[in-house]
Amino acid sequence: MIATREPGPSRLRQELPREAEPPRLLGSLARWLWLGVGVLALLLFFSLASDDWFTIVNYCLIAAIATLALNLLSGYTGQISLGLAFFMGLGGYTAALLGGNPPAGPLDPWGLGLPVFIWLPAAGLVAALVGALIGPSALRLRGFYLGIVTLALVFIGNYLFRNLTFITGGPQGRNFPVPAFGGFSLDQQNSILGIALTSGQQYFLLILVVLLLSALFVYNLSRSRVGRAMRAVRDHEVGAAIMGVNLFEVKMGAFVLSSFLAGVAGALYVSYARYVIPDYWSLSLSIQFVAAIIIGGIADVWGSILGAAFVFALPQVIDYFSLLPPSTGGGGLSSGDLNALLYGLLIIVFLLFEPGGVIGLVRRLRPGGPRPQKLGTGASAGAAVKEGSESIEVVDLQQRLPGPGEERGSGGTGAS
Amino acid sequence: MSGRPDHSNLASDNHQINPREPLLRVEQLSVRFAGVRALSEVSFAVWPGELFAVIGPNGAGKTSLFNVLSRVYQPEAGRVTFAGQDLLRLKPYQVARAGIARTFQNMGQFPTMTVLEYLLLGRHTRMHSGILRAGLFIGPTRREEWENRAYCLHILDLLNLKEVRDRPLGSLPYGLQKRADLARALAMEPQLLLLDEPVAGMSLEETEEIAAIILEIKEQLGLTQILVEHDMALVMGLADRVLVLDFGRVIAEGRPEEVQANPAVIKAYLGEESEQLPAPADDLPAVSEN
Repeated sequence: MIATREPGPSRLRQELPREAEPPRLLGSLARWLWLGVGVLALLLFFSLASDDWFTIVNYCLIAAIATLALNLLSGYTGQISLGLAFFMGLGGYTAALLGGNPPAGPLDPWGLGLPVFIWLPAAGLVAALVGALIGPSALRLRGFYLGIVTLALVFIGNYLFRNLTFITGGPQGRNFPVPAFGGFSLDQQNSILGIALTSGQQYFLLILVVLLLSALFVYNLSRSRVGRAMRAVRDHEVGAAIMGVNLFEVKMGAFVLSSFLAGVAGALYVSYARYVIPDYWSLSLSIQFVAAIIIGGIADVWGSILGAAFVFALPQVIDYFSLLPPSTGGGGLSSGDLNALLYGLLIIVFLLFEPGGVIGLVRRLRPGGPRPQKLGTGASAGAAVKEGSESIEVVDLQQRLPGPGEERGSGGTGAS
Repeated sequence: MSGRPDHSNLASDNHQINPREPLLRVEQLSVRFAGVRALSEVSFAVWPGELFAVIGPNGAGKTSLFNVLSRVYQPEAGRVTFAGQDLLRLKPYQVARAGIARTFQNMGQFPTMTVLEYLLLGRHTRMHSGILRAGLFIGPTRREEWENRAYCLHILDLLNLKEVRDRPLGSLPYGLQKRADLARALAMEPQLLLLDEPVAGMSLEETEEIAAIILEIKEQLGLTQILVEHDMALVMGLADRVLVLDFGRVIAEGRPEEVQANPAVIKAYLGEESEQLPAPADDLPAVSEN
């Protein structure tokens, strides 16, 4: 049966079998429908939402870019990182330096006044460059150790951001000018193609375009050779190497690209807030992104976006609608307390009951069949019943390739 | 390799092999862990097209040997030459590039990957898209993906796995997982296939199927294979030559019937109870030890 002769390469080039075609992005009616629904929802939101809503959503979209960055590194490639805030900060200050006003006072230190289409990619590139410098030493470590090293980056970054006053303005921060495209700047009403747009709407468009490009890039990566290698490295390093995957190359690629996206997100954040202080780039920011990928869904583009919405927009929405006071002096429940409670509860619920995150839940409930369970949900992944025999063999997920002295994969897949 | 699967012959690199030289030569190989000798001065050679089996009781060093060949273990002494090059100078991931594919003894490493994705992962070294090209997924990358998917589907077809192509590995019965793993190793288009207990934990029926596949790989593709296996009947029925290890030492080497008649082998395998080894069976496989 194996000897079946196949058509030679030249013929193959002309007619590749249809069944082997890689799935198209918009390859099914359902996807077109979803696209239509999405566009419609965006249009509705765009034309109806108030400025408050644009503020909430714009921050959330920026957070979604950073969540994608972390998901690429931790979710797809399995490299635990708490350093996302550091790379966002790098991007933020790079943008502030390149796009900032010329020196005018303590809140306007050194700035080159360059336009957005320079400082935005530059912010990503600087963060990526620093990632490329740190990567070779940091990525020798695995699991918790890598987590600790990247955690240290946040503190080193914070120290630098406080003390490099000529760039960062020190602890009290620095202004960031309103981004401008040629004639019009984003802080005022402008009309594009005859439609008058508010500042929030213009930012929304800018951020949305960047998010869509990032999401498309990560999605494409995930379904290609590189994405498969990343998941293989996450699941089992030795196994991946045996299949010819260069672990270092894959980890570095993920680290650098993740840093790039984080830098871009940081730059957008600074530009939208129009102000930047070192305290933005704290450990708690990093941890919020970890929460976002767990709640949203590990190794999933939509999961990243939903996770960002849950972690970064939901609290604002609750504040917005809640009848509770924002904070109370003593007793009583404030909306801030409510947020903290919900947030903690969500993480616990998802870790325990839906390791696939919100997106895992959505995909499971969606008609069209159950999705593969994520790791860590128990026996289904590893247990095999040896039929026709009295012995039932359970293949332990932890019991992996060889014994003593070998390097082990981080093991912390999926639900970690 | 241009990245385009060469469909004219599954084991496409065979033309580079010099049939008068051993494909793999292991000389005086020793492996030691904290004072325990896993392998002591093991030497053997595997010739192109051969189905070479390595057997021995538990702890004899069979898997250690494979781990040296995969560059997971660093030997204390010895030389390994593969297709004329010094294997011990390669990094683990370069071993696959050099043309050695290995199946896993236990499955469960990649539970969320679908069978087709797993085979495509096997084609990692045969594909070339880097991060930027993959992220854009335009022209050449899409083409490469399509061609390699076609190649993988072909192999899935050969191994009767096409129906489960989109099932995650972790959701498949163990026997199918192992077969998918074998398919993945074939998708790598190796010159040398290392089979690490391919029928461990399998039912009789599954064992029979795998045995048939191994024979076909040998006879139709002429692919060189090294088989580590506990299942004596399988080994004796399939292998051209057998190497017997015991406590890390070679105690016998030769054709299956020679090895079976060797008193040292009988002693090592059966201890003091001198039962007969299972006869080389025509109706494979007779006994599954596990």
